[in-house]
Amino acid sequence: MKKYILKRVVTAVFTLLVIILILFILMKLMPGSPFNDEKLNNDQRAALYAKYGLDQPVIIQFLRYVGNLLHGDFGVSYNISKNTPISQLIATRLPISVSIGFAAVAFGALIGLLLGLLAAFKHDTIWDTIATIISVIGVSVPSYVFALALSYTFGYHWKIFPMLFSRAQLVKSSVLPSISLSMFTMANIARFTRSEMLEVLDSDYMLLAESKGISGPALIFRHALRNALIPIITVLAPLIVDLMTGSLVVEKIFAIPGVGSLLVNAIQSNDYNVVIALSFIYSAMYIGIMLLVDILYGIIDPRIRLGKSDGEGGGRKKLRLARKGAGA
Amino acid sequence: MKRRWIACVLAGAMTLGLFGCGSSAVNGTGTESSGSVVTGTGTSSGTDSSVVASDEDLNVMMETPVESLDPQQATDGTSFEVIADYTDGLMQMDENGEPVKALAESYDVSDDGLTYTFKIRDDANWSNGDPVTAQDFVFAWQRAVDPSVASEYAYMLSDIGQVKNAADIIAGTKDKSELGVTAVDDKTMKVELNVPVPYFLSLMYFPTFYPVNEKFFESCKDTFGTSPETTLSDGAFILDDYEPAATSFHLKKNPDYYDAGRIKLAGIQYQVIQDSQQALMSYQNGELDTTMVNGDQVDSVKDDPEFKAVGAGYLWYLSPNISAVPELANQNIRLAMTMAIDRDSIVNDVLKDGSEATYTAVPLDFATGPDGKYFSEDQTKFKDVCSYDADKAAEYWKKGLEELGESSMTINMLVDADDAPQKVAQVLQEQLQNALPGLTINITVEPKKQRVQDMQDGNFQLGLTRWGPDYDDPMTYLGMWVTNNSNNYGLWSDKDYDAIIDKCTTGDLVSDTQGRWDAMYDAEKIVMDQAVIFPLYTQCNAMMVKSNVKGIEYHPVALNRVYKDCVKGAS
Amino acid sequence: MSNANAVLTAQAAAYIPKDEDFRLKNSGEELGRDTNFAGQAYWKEVIVRFFRKKSAAVGLILILLITLLAVVGPMISGYTYSAQNLSQKNLAPRIPVIENTGVFDGSETISTTTGSKKTNGYFDKKLTNVYYWFGSDNYGRDIFTRTWMGTRVSLIIAVAAAVIDMVIGMSYGLISGYFGGRVDMVMQRILEVCNGIPRLVIVTLLLLVLKPGMVTIIFALMLTEWIGMSRIARAEMLKLKEQEFVLASRTLGAGNFFIIFKEILPNIIGPIITQVMFSIPTAIFTEAFLSFVGLGIPVPQCSLGSLISEGYNSFTTHPYQIVAPIIVMALLMLSFNLVGDGLREALDPKLKEM
Repeated sequence: MKKYILKRVVTAVFTLLVIILILFILMKLMPGSPFNDEKLNNDQRAALYAKYGLDQPVIIQFLRYVGNLLHGDFGVSYNISKNTPISQLIATRLPISVSIGFAAVAFGALIGLLLGLLAAFKHDTIWDTIATIISVIGVSVPSYVFALALSYTFGYHWKIFPMLFSRAQLVKSSVLPSISLSMFTMANIARFTRSEMLEVLDSDYMLLAESKGISGPALIFRHALRNALIPIITVLAPLIVDLMTGSLVVEKIFAIPGVGSLLVNAIQSNDYNVVIALSFIYSAMYIGIMLLVDILYGIIDPRIRLGKSDGEGGGRKKLRLARKGAGA
Repeated sequence: MKRRWIACVLAGAMTLGLFGCGSSAVNGTGTESSGSVVTGTGTSSGTDSSVVASDEDLNVMMETPVESLDPQQATDGTSFEVIADYTDGLMQMDENGEPVKALAESYDVSDDGLTYTFKIRDDANWSNGDPVTAQDFVFAWQRAVDPSVASEYAYMLSDIGQVKNAADIIAGTKDKSELGVTAVDDKTMKVELNVPVPYFLSLMYFPTFYPVNEKFFESCKDTFGTSPETTLSDGAFILDDYEPAATSFHLKKNPDYYDAGRIKLAGIQYQVIQDSQQALMSYQNGELDTTMVNGDQVDSVKDDPEFKAVGAGYLWYLSPNISAVPELANQNIRLAMTMAIDRDSIVNDVLKDGSEATYTAVPLDFATGPDGKYFSEDQTKFKDVCSYDADKAAEYWKKGLEELGESSMTINMLVDADDAPQKVAQVLQEQLQNALPGLTINITVEPKKQRVQDMQDGNFQLGLTRWGPDYDDPMTYLGMWVTNNSNNYGLWSDKDYDAIIDKCTTGDLVSDTQGRWDAMYDAEKIVMDQAVIFPLYTQCNAMMVKSNVKGIEYHPVALNRVYKDCVKGAS
Repeated sequence: MSNANAVLTAQAAAYIPKDEDFRLKNSGEELGRDTNFAGQAYWKEVIVRFFRKKSAAVGLILILLITLLAVVGPMISGYTYSAQNLSQKNLAPRIPVIENTGVFDGSETISTTTGSKKTNGYFDKKLTNVYYWFGSDNYGRDIFTRTWMGTRVSLIIAVAAAVIDMVIGMSYGLISGYFGGRVDMVMQRILEVCNGIPRLVIVTLLLLVLKPGMVTIIFALMLTEWIGMSRIARAEMLKLKEQEFVLASRTLGAGNFFIIFKEILPNIIGPIITQVMFSIPTAIFTEAFLSFVGLGIPVPQCSLGSLISEGYNSFTTHPYQIVAPIIVMALLMLSFNLVGDGLREALDPKLKEM
């Protein structure tokens, strides 16, 4: 098992290195520099390049960057928050984005799952229709329109929730942005749950389970839901990380000091260091989640780890074997 | 399967309902006018207002986050405003933008205009108790020109301020200790200039010239200006809640400020809101005391007494690439284009934020001359070469086409990916194409940094760009079009023009106020006659200010908003 | 021992082997024929089943209708999508005949900070014979024409994205999942690298490096959107590949690609179609997002997304400017979903068995 994890970690680190290199090259291809301002002439720009070492060859910059990264140093911001260490920017902003994103995913996944189950079990009834309508609206309308509609009705008109994010009212002011963000997730999950559940409910093993006399929650959760969860998790995992970039606009609207709005500003002002750092974090999160998903696969669907049946070592061991088995 | 039908209808209805509530809802907030309020004029006496000051903070909306709180590194208006909230320089602006004394108790100018001696107030202290000394200024100014700091506004000391040796230090040929500023004693500083600079005092309120306490700076080093603990105040307010790139931050009144009696606000709460719709709704809900309004929302607030347009100083103009595009090298074609633009329609029908149509190379409401009038008071002086006249445009156009031997042309117009430039570009495209037969305008939209790069590289045909003044003198604009200036995007070159500008900046006209002023008019005429640029409008910002808030000063130069005389009454 | 030999000999005597018995049974036609069911025209069956479901039929009709309007809509109102008439800007919707009933008569209620007021720009400006069916925008352009022009652009982007999604993503996911092991490992690492870079960064960089426009947006979506599809395909593949019918097919000597595309693909078409139907809003949304940050279709061209972000700032003053594109967008999404549902049920071999 240790060997397997080690292997995965090495692969992950390698992946991240490749990603940083690609980002570096993309940044260099990007026209314009962080120091394109009407007020700056060429001499000043050259001085700034020299100051930040941007006049060095790309490969030197890359090696230096990776070297610094090993010390947890992301470098400094060039222009959106001049000379501020990026680690400091991220330290204050990431928790906010993550907590709002987490609330959105939790809310979206929960409601989505419930709606999907409702639609599947009450197939072709009014409940199915209602759930379908909600999920269709969720995928039909961009999140910034939801944000606008929510802040207009609940913030401006009824004054139930604050329209702007504030640390003083952390929970209350996170409600509207979280809901706006969760709509897309919720709709996707609801739709997917419905379609997967319908398939599962029609399957022979459900018939078998039912005929064995299993019923109620045990039937739904142990047999039906468990089988439907694989594709759902596959959909959910990228959605979680997408929330970070998906939240860009919503963060802007609700004035949330998160990483999403930081990334947009950084891209628009060519702040390479910030773009690379945030992309790196995004990538790391993504790779972590994908690892988790692979493990969850094994837990939920025993068929995937059905490689060999030597019985020893428990679930984790089986997971490793599952990979081998899958290749056979 | 009727349910599916219902689903369709319901979905549609819900979508409608979602927005229906938007259109039908009426909300008449925020117009209670307190009749007894007398407008507080912004003089420094600070005792003239009949508004009873409340203990509340002023809630201010900002469009963009602060980029830097280091006075020598900051370059944007937002940062300048906040730095100036808690830092005083030698001079400050009065309500008309004229320089008046701040930290300077007195100043002397030598007869040749080359030496300034400033005496610093005895009661000026930093918020850690240290007195503000001449050494603080020397330290800060040396930082501004230090090549290792690479301050973007270093040229404020060299090209514009003409401080002795500044240019050489920036170029790295002299040590920063040779800068022409010295501390005679703790409270006296002497500045030496290369040539007399008529507007030198007005530079002193520009944040690049603000003092920095060396001892304190050394104790924070890299973290200087990134938190309340690493900033030091010698001004009206103290930063007490801030983090880099914060979307909300707070300043409180500085009780030890030498002019503390003048400050009526308990504090300022800044809120960065990038979405103007949200900002306006927050304002109407009472969460903000002042906010900026997008032109699209002006329709709903234009009759409101709390609505006003304030000058932002920027001149927006089209820059034709004269050197690289043969069609645009033709003067008649250029004149035809500038005459085909209906500037009034652009500002009144599309921007609607109070921006003013401009027919001069120097923007409106800017730079007061010896006659006491703004430089561009007379907007009709170039009406033969810059006005809206479709017939004349067509005439020039015909002539130009004949000279070129062509019957049609396609021109690419480069614009920023921001809201206002895209709006303006669409109208320009339509106006130019309609007025000039055979002309096709293609719009290329690029993020601003890239647009600037492309224009600086000469990689454009027609570019929509803007310029904000750095100091209160027409030269901040006219200096752009001299040969080889990096902002002379079209690479236009004219010997006579260069000669006039030279005379006004370093030549014999520098101390002849009236002569210099007239010479600058001559220079402007050359630019306009040859249609080197097509001026479009002077930018204004549409603002909402609550009726119980008085005395916010707005300036087009350097510090866009000053709160020293602001009073917030009980609402 | 000898006893067993005797049995074998007896069997051998009873059956005389023929040549065919030793020929490899690998012709595709032979393997593909399902002899348990009578030969049916599969797609004919699908079509019948599809139209039996009314909601799917409605969705299809809606898509056809919207597509038709996207083609002819910009031509029927007498305005062009880019022509401006600043003297007729911000006029509310006004439709002939219907205007007499009091709705769509060109009047609007503007809620201002000083109270709301009802105005009718057509009367104020004495435009008796001027009709903007969906109203006019900030530049006096016809929103009806622009809405359908935008629909056209959005549809092209969505369809291109969906097709590319399906072809690239599905093949990638199926192959990766089927072969597993080292192939899977390598392919998944490549995918992780591709997906590890935030989509926004790729799209933005591409739009910066290339000339902004529809082709660039499609290209950018192409490079990013296939990933989700390949994940679904791979997950489905992992679920199915250990099942008996695959084993059976392999035992019969079927090749890898035959199994992937002929045996497994028809079984997972449901989730894939569902995913295609979701990749359409994703594509349109990504474009809308790009419009919102100013990198979408360049002005004065428009898409549904750019129309929504254009109308966004006028939401409190002239809400009709944003309503039309949002409704069209929502209807488009709804109908794609309904059709997706219908197709899924019509195509699904498992549902057919019952």
